Amino acid sequence: MMWVFLLSDAFTFSSLLIAYGAIRYSYDSTPIEQIDALELKFAENVQEKFAPDVAETASHAATALEHGAEHAAEHAEHFIPALRELGVFTEAQWPSPDLVFNHFPFAHGLHLPLIFVSLMTLILILSSVTMVLGVEAGQQGDQKAVSKWMLLTIIGGFMFLGCQAWEWTNFISAGARMWSNPYGPPAFAALFFGVTGFHGFHVFSGVVLNIIIYINNLKGTYAKRGHYEMVEKVGLYWHFVDLVWVFVFTFFYLI
Amino acid sequence: MSSHTNNNVDIHDTENYDPTTWVPKVESHGTKDIWGRFWILSFLTIADIVAYFVWPPSMSRNIFFIVMGVLKAWFIVGTFMHMKHEHKKLGYMIILPMAFIIFFLFWMMYEGNFWGTI
Repeated sequence: MMWVFLLSDAFTFSSLLIAYGAIRYSYDSTPIEQIDALELKFAENVQEKFAPDVAETASHAATALEHGAEHAAEHAEHFIPALRELGVFTEAQWPSPDLVFNHFPFAHGLHLPLIFVSLMTLILILSSVTMVLGVEAGQQGDQKAVSKWMLLTIIGGFMFLGCQAWEWTNFISAGARMWSNPYGPPAFAALFFGVTGFHGFHVFSGVVLNIIIYINNLKGTYAKRGHYEMVEKVGLYWHFVDLVWVFVFTFFYLI
Repeated sequence: MSSHTNNNVDIHDTENYDPTTWVPKVESHGTKDIWGRFWILSFLTIADIVAYFVWPPSMSRNIFFIVMGVLKAWFIVGTFMHMKHEHKKLGYMIILPMAFIIFFLFWMMYEGNFWGTI
């Protein structure tokens, strides 16, 4: 039954990704020269932000820094609209994802495309590994080991959800909504929120299921029952969530 | 391991099957395989990222990414979800529809190029 459910769920996600592929290619792609030019601009922006005028005299240093910070904030706020005027993030062009999702925690203003999402992928794959090790421990009837691996899986799930929230916060604070998108076509934001939201909700449900299994195992429910099949079933769901992320990653960040 | 008596009773055996005490057959395949798959999946993801920066955007690059995705799916479903230890029929039930879906993915991505141009 679990497999039948997962197959039907795979159909749902496939329909979303198929829609993404079709809509994305109904727009022009961002030309490669534009991406290169923009990456240069990002580099200049970083220099402006991180090299305030240090040649100022000591008495003027404080005010100069303050002014510099103000200028940087203003610059960031007008960065996207200024680019739109230059014809970069226009409604006719699908934005290149590495120009949109290029942030990394504690590295403000740096252009780091794909790094954060790769970290998210690694976290999810690792939590899949801890899950399958938990299933393995269940097959050995090792209650303590099941607890350990389930706990690690739950932590992995929360880490992934935290990363997802951070990614959404960045995108929303840049001005993206379900119905509008400062980087170009509104469909880009609508599909991003729709698909990653749907996936994120699956991850959340998975974490809740994992917590239920973890608590049951602590109470010794499966040891009493004589088998750990529930761990295996929830494990199937958790791996499925990981599997879907592989394709969400491929479509939203690579294609 | 459990001390239940009906450990290996077939679920279709209506005379001896008792759902309240039935214990499914347990097969353990060791952890060596799991870590091996983890390294393969990490390597494939890194290969994806390298290809993204080295290979200029094109439909052939997209096909490469989707093929890499299917490869990753193969290892996740095969090892992590134990598909390779299940009945063959179950495998075909899942893989056949998904093969059509993958074809549909390529098809609609190509089709999208012509939307709004006629």
